[in-house]
Amino acid sequence: MDNTSLLSLSYQLAAFRSIDVIANNIANVNTPGYKRESVKFEQVLQQMKPAEGQKGPQTVSFVRDAGLLRDISGGRIESTGAPFDLAINGPGYFAIQTAQGERYTRNGHFTLNADGTVVTESGDQLMGDGGAITIAPDDGDITFGADGTITGKQGQIGKLRLVDFADPRALSKEGDSLYSTTQQANAAPNAVIAQGMLEGSNVQPVIEISRMIEVMRSYEATASLEKGHSDMQRQAIQKLAAVQ
Amino acid sequence: MRALSIASTGMLAQQTNVEVIANNLANMNTTGYKAQRAAFQDLLYQNIQQAGAQTSDTGTLLASGIQLGAGVRTAAIYRMTKPGDIKNTSNPYDVAINGAGYFRVQMPDGTDAFSRDGNFQLSSAGQLVTQQGYTVQPGISMPPTATAVTITPAGLVQATIPGQVALQTVGQLELTRFPNEAGLRAMGDNLYAETSSSGAPQSGVPGSTGYGTIQQYFLETSNVDAVSEVTSLISAQRAYEMNSKVISTADQMLAQTAKLGG
Repeated sequence: MDNTSLLSLSYQLAAFRSIDVIANNIANVNTPGYKRESVKFEQVLQQMKPAEGQKGPQTVSFVRDAGLLRDISGGRIESTGAPFDLAINGPGYFAIQTAQGERYTRNGHFTLNADGTVVTESGDQLMGDGGAITIAPDDGDITFGADGTITGKQGQIGKLRLVDFADPRALSKEGDSLYSTTQQANAAPNAVIAQGMLEGSNVQPVIEISRMIEVMRSYEATASLEKGHSDMQRQAIQKLAAVQ
Repeated sequence: MRALSIASTGMLAQQTNVEVIANNLANMNTTGYKAQRAAFQDLLYQNIQQAGAQTSDTGTLLASGIQLGAGVRTAAIYRMTKPGDIKNTSNPYDVAINGAGYFRVQMPDGTDAFSRDGNFQLSSAGQLVTQQGYTVQPGISMPPTATAVTITPAGLVQATIPGQVALQTVGQLELTRFPNEAGLRAMGDNLYAETSSSGAPQSGVPGSTGYGTIQQYFLETSNVDAVSEVTSLISAQRAYEMNSKVISTADQMLAQTAKLGG
């Protein structure tokens, strides 16, 4: 294959990756705490033989997907009215104890288990400053304060463990709205808790759909470039054959 | 191409969402009905390139990795346990629970079921029963001569008997609560069953700590909020459309690829 075909191939692979990422954003448009991602492209330069009449080495630049950028801006806050739906306004994460160790999430949809412990839908415990949070039936209606203080009828029950990281974009996604990291978890003093609310995803449908159209059109353009190139080659072969 | 399967998980999730909303709207006027919500989570991620991987001997690190998601899943359909509005019915056997708790009802097979629907009536034997004829526990029978019934906020059931000055106490309603009432299993007919996730039932007298009080002549309406359901319906439908748009785009790209071979 020559450079034209390889160049279009490099873009086509990157375009497929882009569409996968856009599809995942759109699929999670209603997932609480989901953060949208976009593909970061980079060019890979390669030396090539100078064309006829040109002097010195020339480069050809291929494209490749270098990484995914996570947009960690806050999602829209929606009212649900459920007492264990908590939204974090500002930077910060809830700490969740899983079988694999501590994980972090911004999906604030919690529920109680049979023991009255606050858990995620997967049954993992939400961590307070002093471990798991257990609500006694006599506590009545539970109130979560803006700073994460949990109070019931019988007084304070505990305080949410809210953490933040030096580089929140580098958290690794685990599925089930959980993140894992090797970074040191710091306190998140600026996190404000809103009870009865959920932070929706920060996916903007307009951006995703227009980005998708853009990727598809440039994919088409690349495909037609390749078509044109192969037509050119075919003509060249036919003409050269006719000369002989 | 992952986009096709990712978008199909999105369409399935939104379909579930629409079904849950439809059920809520259908039960807008069902006594004691609790609205449900679908809870979504993202599916597992495939690590293509790990963020923080070393890019040189001097210790420079990759700032961002590539983790490809596989779409979305419905993690749970949970019930909103907040109370519905209480409406006056002027029927003496209509009782609403103001606060926490469920009525305990005996099913025909002898097991217990729980309900917040206090739309009771009397059986031919004078027993207090639900609309389906299941006995309210503990059993309360009205004397055949009774002309009126009074149910106090503490659940005491008293009958007016002709010729007697004082009211005759015929029974005491009890309420049952659970550590996690969202974990109850809905059985239809406004009844719920205990599960391992709801925790063990605890019975108590209405009005005691942690239990609600009883209001005679009232019924608890459903807690479905029509406006928020309709807005969720619109947003679910649009999300469904967007996912189907992803599928058609992925399809067009694949069609372009297929044409290249010609």
